[in-house]
Amino acid sequence: MSKSHLIFAGFALLLFFAIVASMALGEAMLSPVEIWAAICGAADESSRIIFFDIRLPRTIVGLFVGVGLGASGAVMQAYFRNPLAAPGLLGVSSGGALGAVLALTFGGWFGIYTVPLASVSGAFLAIGAVILLARKGASPEHLLLAGVALNALFGAVTSFILSASAAQTHLNAQILFWLMGGIENRTWEHVWMAAPGILLASILLLPLGRPMNLLALGDSGAQSLGVDVRRLRWQLIVLSTVLTALATAVGGVIGFVGLVVPHIIRLLDGPNHRRLVPLSMLGGASLVLLCDLPTRFLGAGTRLGVITSLVGGPFLLWLLRKRPC
Amino acid sequence: MLKAAALSVDGRLYNISLEVHAGECAAILGPNGAGKSTLLNALAGLLSASGGIYWMGEELERIPYIKRGRMLAWLGQESAAEFAFPVRDVVAQGRFAHGDDNQRIDEAMAAVNISRIANRAVTELSGGERRRVFIARALATGAPIQLWDEPASCLDVRHTLEVYALARGLASGGACVLVSLHDIRAAYRFDRLIVLDRGKLVADGPPHDILTAHLIRQVFCVETRFLTSLVPELPDGEYI
Repeated sequence: MSKSHLIFAGFALLLFFAIVASMALGEAMLSPVEIWAAICGAADESSRIIFFDIRLPRTIVGLFVGVGLGASGAVMQAYFRNPLAAPGLLGVSSGGALGAVLALTFGGWFGIYTVPLASVSGAFLAIGAVILLARKGASPEHLLLAGVALNALFGAVTSFILSASAAQTHLNAQILFWLMGGIENRTWEHVWMAAPGILLASILLLPLGRPMNLLALGDSGAQSLGVDVRRLRWQLIVLSTVLTALATAVGGVIGFVGLVVPHIIRLLDGPNHRRLVPLSMLGGASLVLLCDLPTRFLGAGTRLGVITSLVGGPFLLWLLRKRPC
Repeated sequence: MLKAAALSVDGRLYNISLEVHAGECAAILGPNGAGKSTLLNALAGLLSASGGIYWMGEELERIPYIKRGRMLAWLGQESAAEFAFPVRDVVAQGRFAHGDDNQRIDEAMAAVNISRIANRAVTELSGGERRRVFIARALATGAPIQLWDEPASCLDVRHTLEVYALARGLASGGACVLVSLHDIRAAYRFDRLIVLDRGKLVADGPPHDILTAHLIRQVFCVETRFLTSLVPELPDGEYI
């Protein structure tokens, strides 16, 4: 078994462990036997409700949020040829955040769907604005600068709404909670909202690993070797936006996953995107699910986005010390 | 095999017409900013230009990208690498349009003497080593048209001579080779010189015919004395 196979097996095992832990742990503990009984329809009523209505949708949402953010991070880093690029670089996350904050503040007509829909709309409006502003052939440099400008703009508006609503404690807390990310109280509606899009975008992304390798060493070189670079760049932007927008819509703003996961995998397995992209999906899903566990026990203040950064940051620093890149 | 008809690039290249045939080893010569890289990039289809470009009789615009990758290899002036790909993976990229061919990849690495560093990360290499990795990537394509922009930049004298010998070897095998140069002294190693100055073609022919003191003064603004001086050569019959 080669090193790459071992790394794949290791990440698959880690994800399996994270999924089981996510279904088992919480205020009411479910043993693996009880989980299996619930799956087979042999569990008692309360176990079944906990498993199917609370744990399973939460786990599936976490899984897809992690897959989306991990893959999107790997894509953005190849797109900008920069290992420090992250899914939110082009304003997709901050656009999504602003959309959600506006929906939380002013309400909407779509019930449970209002915030996610507003978030997806904000994310797509943001990427549309970035592309429109960048124009000039939408070169990576123009896109990056337009993204920086819009991130600042959206961030300012979000902060303004947050401070303007300071007197409304409940609304303020709701906005803050959303901005720090979380997958508690997620329902099957959230699963159906995010999972199909993230699954489809991930499947479409997998065959692009090889051309992404060429792109990572330069546009002209890639094009001369047979890659339609313009088309590839569009595909990557669209797929990355779909992944980030849907992940943000159902999970809020979860920082660091898209930055740290591809980085860790590159340090362990090298930069080959044919492996980096699927491994980032497995790693992203594992990180989100594992980081969600402490939020179930440590009280309302511990948000998923806070834990991912608290865990991911030191882990990356430790890896960098061990193996400088 | 490679043809440009009234090729112009906005403000950088004016009305260039030329043909390079199979088996020809030609060099583009000119001072900094003369348009050497622009001409190579335009011929490779990497920047938009007016006029016609034809590869093996086919109009470039009509050739799908993947087929372009099989017909032409382009070596850029920069050999930057942000990600730590192993050397062999970078060389193997040359086979993107064809499908992997381990023998060709190994031969390409051997040709520029990088087989022993096949597993090292490209980011850890010296400038000259990295340059040879990208030359090997161009060789691995096996493409019949080879366009190399300043292939000898960063290379020591031995590797410089090897690269020019490689270019000549490819042409002898039937390829159409076009290399850009800034060093006048290397010009005599090529069958044909295409001299550019401020985006215009000012001379085209065998180096012994066209490289006169007058042309050099006109293009490079230097005086020339044709003397015997130190001329390094590869040992007879050896170029690896």
